[in-house]
Amino acid sequence: MITALLISLVVLGGSAGDVFITKGMKQLGEISTLHVGRLIGTALRAITNRYFLTGVVFMAISYFSFLGALRLADLSLVLPATSISFVLTTIGARLFLNEKINPTRLAGIVLVCLGVALISIPSQP
Amino acid sequence: MKTAAVLIIAIVAQAAGDVCLTKGMKALASLDATGGRQSESLSQIAHLALQAAQSPMVWAGTLLLIVFFALYSAALSWADLSFVLPATAFGYVLNVAAGYYFLNEAVSTRRWAGAVIITLGVLFVSRSGHRTVETRGDGLLIARGAE
Repeated sequence: MITALLISLVVLGGSAGDVFITKGMKQLGEISTLHVGRLIGTALRAITNRYFLTGVVFMAISYFSFLGALRLADLSLVLPATSISFVLTTIGARLFLNEKINPTRLAGIVLVCLGVALISIPSQP
Repeated sequence: MKTAAVLIIAIVAQAAGDVCLTKGMKALASLDATGGRQSESLSQIAHLALQAAQSPMVWAGTLLLIVFFALYSAALSWADLSFVLPATAFGYVLNVAAGYYFLNEAVSTRRWAGAVIITLGVLFVSRSGHRTVETRGDGLLIARGAE
């Protein structure tokens, strides 16, 4: 039960983190310079952006839930379960960032999700 | 083009960072006399953290992962999240290959199959265009071409 809760936190936290970080970065505007001073300026604006910081906090929650889940359950359960976050993040991007998910992209994301699940199931010794 | 370049460097930095971290942490674990994964009293964790902080491999790995995160965030300043996230999943494929070539890990047929499926998925995603929204002055995200 607690394992399921922690895995949900890993997935939800990661997806929410990605959505917030994207929102923050979109607010800063497209980065299109290689000027070091300007890049440092952009980095400073990013780490003081409210959305970006919220995203980082969600990422941290996701990471520590991951560590917690690993104490209760095997990596062979936890890691494949987290591959669902590719689909969940896509739903978040559709709902909160207004991104259009065309059929090609959807097919690609489902394949990636399947492949990551396959890769992350450890081989039996 | 810019998106592809930034994401390729990001993915390579991430895979190299993961390999460095694994090498660094495995070297620490083998130095540790108690060895077992079960040993995790607070003082042992602090001891391990101190050791890790002195390992050049761990530092290199951490720096490379910071480079990855900076480039990943930069790409998100112009490209779709639903494009960038699945595209970076190609890092899993590099990790399997790097584990096989540099860390002498055994890779099962199923994991190679997973790598092939991810590669296919990334190819699909890369054909879907990298940007479907524009940012307006007030930070609102609107469908591209709606204004």
